[in-house]
Amino acid sequence: MATNVAGRRYRTWYAMLLRLYPRPFREQFGEGMAQTFHDLCREHRDAGRGLFGLVLWIFFETSVGIVRENTTHMSQLGRTTLRVALGALALLMVPLVASRVVEGWNWPAGTFVLVYVLFFATGMVYAAIAKKMGAWSYKAGVGVALVAGFALGWSNMVHVADSENPANLVYYSVLVVGGVGAWLARLEARGLARTLFAMAAILALIAVMLPSGAPPNLARNMAIGHGVFVALFSASGLLFRHASAPSRGY
Amino acid sequence: MGKKNTAQAPLTPAVLHILLALSTGERHGYGIMKQVLADSQGKAKMGPGTLYGSMGRMMEAGLIRESDKRVDPEMDDERRIYYELTGAGRAALEAELQRYRGVVAVAEGRLAHGH
Repeated sequence: MATNVAGRRYRTWYAMLLRLYPRPFREQFGEGMAQTFHDLCREHRDAGRGLFGLVLWIFFETSVGIVRENTTHMSQLGRTTLRVALGALALLMVPLVASRVVEGWNWPAGTFVLVYVLFFATGMVYAAIAKKMGAWSYKAGVGVALVAGFALGWSNMVHVADSENPANLVYYSVLVVGGVGAWLARLEARGLARTLFAMAAILALIAVMLPSGAPPNLARNMAIGHGVFVALFSASGLLFRHASAPSRGY
Repeated sequence: MGKKNTAQAPLTPAVLHILLALSTGERHGYGIMKQVLADSQGKAKMGPGTLYGSMGRMMEAGLIRESDKRVDPEMDDERRIYYELTGAGRAALEAELQRYRGVVAVAEGRLAHGH
Protein backbone atom coordinates (compact mmCIF):
# COMPACT_ATOMS: atom_id res chain seq x y z
CA MET A 1 0.00 0.00 0.00
CA ALA A 2 2.80 2.34 1.03
CA THR A 3 4.65 1.41 -2.19
CA ASN A 4 1.57 2.27 -4.24
CA VAL A 5 1.38 5.69 -2.62
CA ALA A 6 5.10 6.21 -3.25
CA GLY A 7 4.63 5.05 -6.87
CA ARG A 8 1.84 7.58 -7.42
CA ARG A 9 3.94 10.32 -5.88
CA TYR A 10 6.94 9.45 -8.04
CA ARG A 11 4.73 9.39 -11.13
CA THR A 12 3.46 12.90 -10.31
CA TRP A 13 7.01 14.15 -9.83
CA TYR A 14 8.11 12.51 -13.05
CA ALA A 15 5.26 14.21 -14.93
CA MET A 16 6.48 17.52 -13.49
CA LEU A 17 10.04 16.74 -14.59
CA LEU A 18 8.83 15.99 -18.14
CA ARG A 19 7.46 19.54 -18.34
CA LEU A 20 11.08 20.72 -18.60
CA TYR A 21 11.42 19.15 -22.06
CA PRO A 22 10.95 21.47 -25.07
CA ARG A 23 7.23 21.61 -25.90
CA PRO A 24 7.40 19.77 -29.30
CA PHE A 25 9.32 16.89 -27.71
CA ARG A 26 6.96 16.79 -24.71
CA GLU A 27 3.89 16.74 -26.95
CA GLN A 28 5.31 13.87 -29.00
CA PHE A 29 6.81 11.68 -26.30
CA GLY A 30 5.63 12.95 -22.89
CA GLU A 31 2.73 10.50 -22.58
CA GLY A 32 4.85 7.53 -23.68
CA MET A 33 7.66 8.47 -21.29
CA ALA A 34 5.27 8.75 -18.35
CA GLN A 35 3.78 5.35 -19.25
CA THR A 36 7.23 3.78 -19.56
CA PHE A 37 8.19 5.22 -16.17
CA HIS A 38 5.03 3.75 -14.68
CA ASP A 39 5.74 0.37 -16.31
CA LEU A 40 9.30 0.29 -14.94
CA CYS A 41 8.07 1.17 -11.44
CA ARG A 42 5.42 -1.56 -11.60
CA GLU A 43 7.98 -4.11 -12.80
CA HIS A 44 10.22 -3.30 -9.83
CA ARG A 45 7.31 -3.31 -7.40
CA ASP A 46 6.06 -6.69 -8.69
CA ALA A 47 9.56 -8.09 -8.29
CA GLY A 48 9.49 -6.96 -4.65
CA ARG A 49 12.27 -4.42 -5.16
CA GLY A 50 12.33 -0.91 -3.75
CA LEU A 51 11.60 2.02 -6.02
CA PHE A 52 13.95 4.64 -4.64
CA GLY A 53 17.12 3.53 -6.47
CA LEU A 54 15.28 3.07 -9.77
CA VAL A 55 13.52 6.43 -9.50
CA LEU A 56 16.76 8.20 -8.65
CA TRP A 57 18.47 6.67 -11.71
CA ILE A 58 15.57 7.49 -14.06
CA PHE A 59 15.30 11.05 -12.77
CA PHE A 60 19.03 11.57 -13.35
CA GLU A 61 18.95 9.93 -16.78
CA THR A 62 15.89 11.93 -17.81
CA SER A 63 17.48 15.17 -16.56
CA VAL A 64 20.47 14.53 -18.84
CA GLY A 65 17.99 14.00 -21.70
CA ILE A 66 16.23 17.27 -20.84
CA VAL A 67 19.50 19.22 -21.03
CA ARG A 68 20.38 17.53 -24.35
CA GLU A 69 16.98 18.09 -25.95
CA ASN A 70 16.81 21.73 -24.82
CA THR A 71 20.29 22.37 -26.19
CA THR A 72 19.33 20.76 -29.51
CA HIS A 73 16.04 22.70 -29.59
CA MET A 74 17.75 26.03 -28.93
CA SER A 75 20.39 25.45 -31.60
CA GLN A 76 17.69 24.39 -34.09
CA LEU A 77 15.70 27.51 -33.22
CA GLY A 78 18.82 29.64 -33.69
CA ARG A 79 19.56 28.02 -37.05
CA THR A 80 15.95 28.49 -38.21
CA THR A 81 15.95 32.15 -37.14
CA LEU A 82 19.22 32.77 -38.97
CA ARG A 83 17.97 31.03 -42.13
CA VAL A 84 14.71 33.02 -42.10
CA ALA A 85 16.57 36.30 -41.43
CA LEU A 86 18.89 35.66 -44.39
CA GLY A 87 15.98 34.54 -46.60
CA ALA A 88 14.07 37.71 -45.73
CA LEU A 89 17.16 39.76 -46.55
CA ALA A 90 17.46 38.02 -49.93
CA LEU A 91 13.79 38.74 -50.68
CA LEU A 92 14.27 42.36 -49.62
CA MET A 93 16.84 42.69 -52.40
CA VAL A 94 13.98 42.49 -54.94
CA PRO A 95 12.27 45.79 -53.96
CA LEU A 96 15.65 47.29 -53.06
CA VAL A 97 17.06 46.68 -56.54
CA ALA A 98 13.72 47.55 -58.16
CA SER A 99 13.66 50.90 -56.37
CA ARG A 100 17.00 51.68 -58.00
CA VAL A 101 16.00 50.77 -61.53
CA VAL A 102 12.25 51.41 -61.71
CA GLU A 103 11.32 55.02 -62.19
CA GLY A 104 8.93 56.39 -59.58
CA TRP A 105 9.64 53.64 -57.03
CA ASN A 106 10.61 55.80 -54.06
CA TRP A 107 10.06 53.88 -50.87
CA PRO A 108 11.27 55.60 -47.72
CA ALA A 109 13.69 53.66 -45.48
CA GLY A 110 10.85 52.93 -43.03
CA THR A 111 8.94 51.01 -45.71
CA PHE A 112 11.94 48.76 -46.37
CA VAL A 113 12.20 48.05 -42.66
CA LEU A 114 8.47 47.27 -42.54
CA VAL A 115 8.75 44.96 -45.57
CA TYR A 116 11.74 43.20 -44.02
CA VAL A 117 9.85 42.67 -40.74
CA LEU A 118 6.86 41.30 -42.68
CA PHE A 119 9.07 38.93 -44.71
CA PHE A 120 10.81 37.78 -41.55
CA ALA A 121 7.54 37.31 -39.63
CA THR A 122 5.99 35.37 -42.52
CA GLY A 123 9.08 33.17 -42.73
CA MET A 124 9.02 32.43 -39.00
CA VAL A 125 5.30 31.62 -39.17
CA TYR A 126 6.05 29.20 -42.03
CA ALA A 127 8.88 27.58 -40.06
CA ALA A 128 6.66 27.21 -36.98
CA ILE A 129 3.66 25.74 -38.82
CA ALA A 130 5.43 23.62 -41.45
CA LYS A 131 7.21 21.50 -38.84
CA LYS A 132 3.84 20.34 -37.47
CA MET A 133 3.71 17.69 -40.16
CA GLY A 134 6.32 15.96 -42.29
CA ALA A 135 4.18 15.54 -45.43
CA TRP A 136 5.43 17.59 -48.40
CA SER A 137 1.84 18.53 -49.29
CA TYR A 138 1.30 20.05 -45.84
CA LYS A 139 4.48 22.13 -46.09
CA ALA A 140 3.59 23.19 -49.65
CA GLY A 141 0.04 24.06 -48.51
CA VAL A 142 1.42 26.27 -45.72
CA GLY A 143 3.82 27.94 -48.16
CA VAL A 144 1.17 28.68 -50.79
CA ALA A 145 -1.33 29.92 -48.17
CA LEU A 146 1.22 32.26 -46.56
CA VAL A 147 2.48 33.66 -49.86
CA ALA A 148 -1.10 34.24 -51.06
CA GLY A 149 -2.14 35.74 -47.71
CA PHE A 150 0.93 37.98 -47.61
CA ALA A 151 0.37 39.16 -51.20
CA LEU A 152 -3.34 39.79 -50.58
CA GLY A 153 -2.65 41.73 -47.37
CA TRP A 154 0.15 43.76 -48.92
CA SER A 155 -1.62 44.62 -52.18
CA ASN A 156 -4.75 45.55 -50.27
CA MET A 157 -2.78 47.75 -47.88
CA VAL A 158 -1.23 49.58 -50.85
CA HIS A 159 -4.63 49.83 -52.56
CA VAL A 160 -6.34 51.23 -49.45
CA ALA A 161 -3.55 53.79 -49.03
CA ASP A 162 -3.81 54.85 -52.70
CA SER A 163 -7.58 54.91 -53.09
CA GLU A 164 -8.46 55.90 -49.49
CA ASN A 165 -11.56 53.75 -49.96
CA PRO A 166 -12.35 51.97 -46.68
CA ALA A 167 -14.58 49.51 -48.59
CA ASN A 168 -11.38 47.72 -49.57
CA LEU A 169 -10.92 46.72 -45.94
CA VAL A 170 -13.45 43.96 -46.65
CA TYR A 171 -10.57 41.94 -48.13
CA TYR A 172 -9.04 41.67 -44.67
CA SER A 173 -12.05 39.55 -43.70
CA VAL A 174 -10.48 36.79 -45.86
CA LEU A 175 -7.31 36.94 -43.77
CA VAL A 176 -9.30 37.06 -40.53
CA VAL A 177 -11.19 33.93 -41.59
CA GLY A 178 -7.82 32.29 -42.33
CA GLY A 179 -6.38 33.18 -38.93
CA VAL A 180 -9.47 32.12 -36.96
CA GLY A 181 -9.87 28.95 -39.05
CA ALA A 182 -6.23 27.95 -38.50
CA TRP A 183 -6.61 28.53 -34.78
CA LEU A 184 -9.84 26.52 -34.57
CA ALA A 185 -8.31 23.72 -36.67
CA ARG A 186 -5.25 23.66 -34.38
CA LEU A 187 -3.24 23.56 -37.61
CA GLU A 188 -4.54 20.08 -38.46
CA ALA A 189 -4.47 19.45 -42.23
CA ARG A 190 -8.18 18.60 -42.59
CA GLY A 191 -9.29 21.77 -40.78
CA LEU A 192 -6.80 23.91 -42.69
CA ALA A 193 -8.16 22.52 -45.98
CA ARG A 194 -11.67 23.67 -44.99
CA THR A 195 -10.30 27.05 -43.89
CA LEU A 196 -8.51 27.65 -47.20
CA PHE A 197 -11.59 26.63 -49.22
CA ALA A 198 -13.65 29.05 -47.08
CA MET A 199 -11.14 31.83 -47.79
CA ALA A 200 -11.33 31.12 -51.53
CA ALA A 201 -15.14 31.13 -51.38
CA ILE A 202 -15.29 34.45 -49.48
CA LEU A 203 -12.90 36.06 -51.93
CA ALA A 204 -14.96 34.80 -54.87
CA LEU A 205 -18.09 36.16 -53.18
CA ILE A 206 -16.44 39.57 -52.74
CA ALA A 207 -15.47 39.56 -56.43
CA VAL A 208 -19.06 38.76 -57.46
CA MET A 209 -20.50 41.45 -55.18
CA LEU A 210 -18.18 44.20 -56.44
CA PRO A 211 -20.17 47.09 -57.93
CA SER A 212 -20.14 46.97 -61.72
CA GLY A 213 -19.37 50.00 -63.84
CA ALA A 214 -15.58 49.96 -63.75
CA PRO A 215 -13.76 50.60 -67.05
CA PRO A 216 -13.31 47.34 -69.05
CA ASN A 217 -9.53 47.23 -68.58
CA LEU A 218 -9.78 47.72 -64.82
CA ALA A 219 -12.65 45.21 -64.57
CA ARG A 220 -10.59 42.61 -66.46
CA ASN A 221 -7.50 43.19 -64.29
CA MET A 222 -9.59 42.95 -61.13
CA ALA A 223 -11.17 39.71 -62.33
CA ILE A 224 -7.73 38.25 -63.08
CA GLY A 225 -6.41 39.41 -59.69
CA HIS A 226 -9.32 37.87 -57.80
CA GLY A 227 -9.07 34.70 -59.89
CA VAL A 228 -5.37 34.29 -59.08
CA PHE A 229 -5.95 34.61 -55.34
CA VAL A 230 -8.98 32.27 -55.42
CA ALA A 231 -6.87 29.74 -57.34
CA LEU A 232 -3.97 30.04 -54.86
CA PHE A 233 -6.20 29.58 -51.80
CA SER A 234 -7.98 26.65 -53.49
CA ALA A 235 -4.64 25.06 -54.43
CA SER A 236 -3.49 25.39 -50.84
CA GLY A 237 -6.76 23.82 -49.66
CA LEU A 238 -6.23 20.89 -52.04
CA LEU A 239 -2.68 20.42 -50.76
CA PHE A 240 -3.94 20.31 -47.17
CA ARG A 241 -6.66 17.84 -48.19
CA HIS A 242 -3.96 15.68 -49.80
CA ALA A 243 -1.92 15.87 -46.58
CA SER A 244 -4.92 14.88 -44.44
CA ALA A 245 -5.36 11.53 -46.22
CA PRO A 246 -4.99 8.75 -43.59
CA SER A 247 -1.88 7.15 -45.11
CA ARG A 248 0.11 10.38 -45.03
CA GLY A 249 1.76 12.34 -42.28
CA TYR A 250 5.33 11.04 -42.15
CA MET B 1 21.53 12.48 -37.69
CA GLY B 2 20.59 13.62 -41.13
CA LYS B 3 18.39 11.75 -43.54
CA LYS B 4 21.10 11.62 -46.17
CA ASN B 5 23.97 10.07 -44.26
CA THR B 6 22.11 7.77 -41.87
CA ALA B 7 22.49 4.68 -44.02
CA GLN B 8 26.25 5.13 -44.39
CA ALA B 9 27.35 6.48 -41.00
CA PRO B 10 28.02 4.08 -38.12
CA LEU B 11 25.02 4.02 -35.77
CA THR B 12 25.23 4.85 -32.08
CA PRO B 13 24.78 1.84 -29.76
CA ALA B 14 21.36 3.14 -28.65
CA VAL B 15 20.11 3.53 -32.22
CA LEU B 16 21.44 0.10 -33.24
CA HIS B 17 19.73 -1.55 -30.25
CA ILE B 18 16.41 0.18 -30.96
CA LEU B 19 16.53 -0.83 -34.64
CA LEU B 20 17.34 -4.37 -33.61
CA ALA B 21 14.49 -4.42 -31.08
CA LEU B 22 12.03 -3.27 -33.75
CA SER B 23 13.36 -5.62 -36.45
CA THR B 24 11.00 -8.39 -35.38
CA GLY B 25 7.90 -6.23 -35.18
CA GLU B 26 6.33 -3.11 -33.73
CA ARG B 27 6.70 -2.38 -30.02
CA HIS B 28 5.80 0.34 -27.51
CA GLY B 29 8.46 2.21 -25.51
CA TYR B 30 8.54 -0.18 -22.54
CA GLY B 31 8.53 -3.16 -24.95
CA ILE B 32 11.55 -1.72 -26.79
CA MET B 33 13.35 -1.21 -23.49
CA LYS B 34 12.73 -4.83 -22.45
CA GLN B 35 13.79 -6.15 -25.85
CA VAL B 36 17.02 -4.10 -25.80
CA LEU B 37 17.81 -5.53 -22.36
CA ALA B 38 17.12 -9.08 -23.60
CA ASP B 39 19.09 -8.63 -26.86
CA SER B 40 22.13 -7.33 -24.97
CA GLN B 41 21.90 -9.99 -22.23
CA GLY B 42 21.25 -7.25 -19.70
CA LYS B 43 24.27 -5.13 -20.68
CA ALA B 44 22.47 -2.24 -22.45
CA LYS B 45 20.25 -0.61 -19.84
CA MET B 46 18.39 2.28 -21.39
CA GLY B 47 16.30 4.82 -19.46
CA PRO B 48 13.32 6.75 -20.87
CA GLY B 49 15.48 9.85 -21.52
CA THR B 50 17.91 7.98 -23.77
CA LEU B 51 15.23 5.82 -25.37
CA TYR B 52 12.83 8.59 -26.37
CA GLY B 53 15.63 11.05 -27.22
CA SER B 54 17.11 8.49 -29.62
CA MET B 55 13.66 7.66 -31.02
CA GLY B 56 13.00 11.35 -31.66
CA ARG B 57 16.16 11.62 -33.74
CA MET B 58 15.39 8.33 -35.49
CA MET B 59 11.90 9.54 -36.42
CA GLU B 60 13.39 12.76 -37.74
CA ALA B 61 15.81 10.70 -39.83
CA GLY B 62 12.96 8.52 -41.11
CA LEU B 63 14.30 5.30 -39.56
CA ILE B 64 11.22 4.54 -37.45
CA ARG B 65 7.65 5.81 -37.23
CA GLU B 66 4.61 5.61 -34.99
CA SER B 67 2.39 2.76 -36.13
CA ASP B 68 -0.57 2.57 -33.82
CA LYS B 69 -1.97 3.41 -30.39
CA ARG B 70 -3.61 0.47 -28.70
CA VAL B 71 -3.83 -1.63 -25.55
CA ASP B 72 -1.11 -4.23 -24.94
CA PRO B 73 -3.07 -7.40 -24.00
CA GLU B 74 -0.14 -8.61 -21.85
CA MET B 75 -0.17 -5.45 -19.75
CA ASP B 76 -2.82 -3.13 -18.28
CA ASP B 77 -5.71 -1.49 -20.17
CA GLU B 78 -3.78 1.72 -20.95
CA ARG B 79 -3.39 2.47 -24.66
CA ARG B 80 0.25 2.66 -25.77
CA ILE B 81 1.91 4.16 -28.82
CA TYR B 82 3.63 1.51 -30.94
CA TYR B 83 6.65 2.17 -33.14
CA GLU B 84 7.85 0.30 -36.22
CA LEU B 85 10.82 0.29 -38.60
CA THR B 86 10.59 2.10 -41.92
CA GLY B 87 12.25 0.85 -45.10
CA ALA B 88 15.12 3.28 -44.44
CA GLY B 89 15.43 1.94 -40.88
CA ARG B 90 15.69 -1.65 -42.10
CA ALA B 91 18.26 -0.59 -44.73
CA ALA B 92 20.30 1.25 -42.06
CA LEU B 93 20.24 -1.83 -39.82
CA GLU B 94 21.33 -4.10 -42.66
CA ALA B 95 24.14 -1.68 -43.64
CA GLU B 96 25.33 -1.55 -40.03
CA LEU B 97 25.32 -5.34 -39.71
CA GLN B 98 27.26 -5.56 -42.98
CA ARG B 99 29.79 -3.10 -41.58
CA TYR B 100 30.11 -5.22 -38.43
CA ARG B 101 30.64 -8.36 -40.55
CA GLY B 102 33.43 -6.58 -42.44
CA VAL B 103 35.14 -5.50 -39.20
CA VAL B 104 34.82 -9.03 -37.75
CA ALA B 105 36.26 -10.57 -40.95
CA VAL B 106 39.28 -8.23 -40.84
CA ALA B 107 39.82 -8.87 -37.13
CA GLU B 108 39.55 -12.66 -37.51
CA GLY B 109 41.93 -12.61 -40.48
CA ARG B 110 44.55 -10.70 -38.50
CA LEU B 111 44.20 -12.86 -35.41
CA ALA B 112 44.48 -16.02 -37.53
CA HIS B 113 47.78 -14.76 -39.02
CA GLY B 114 49.08 -13.63 -35.66
CA HIS B 115 49.38 -9.90 -36.60
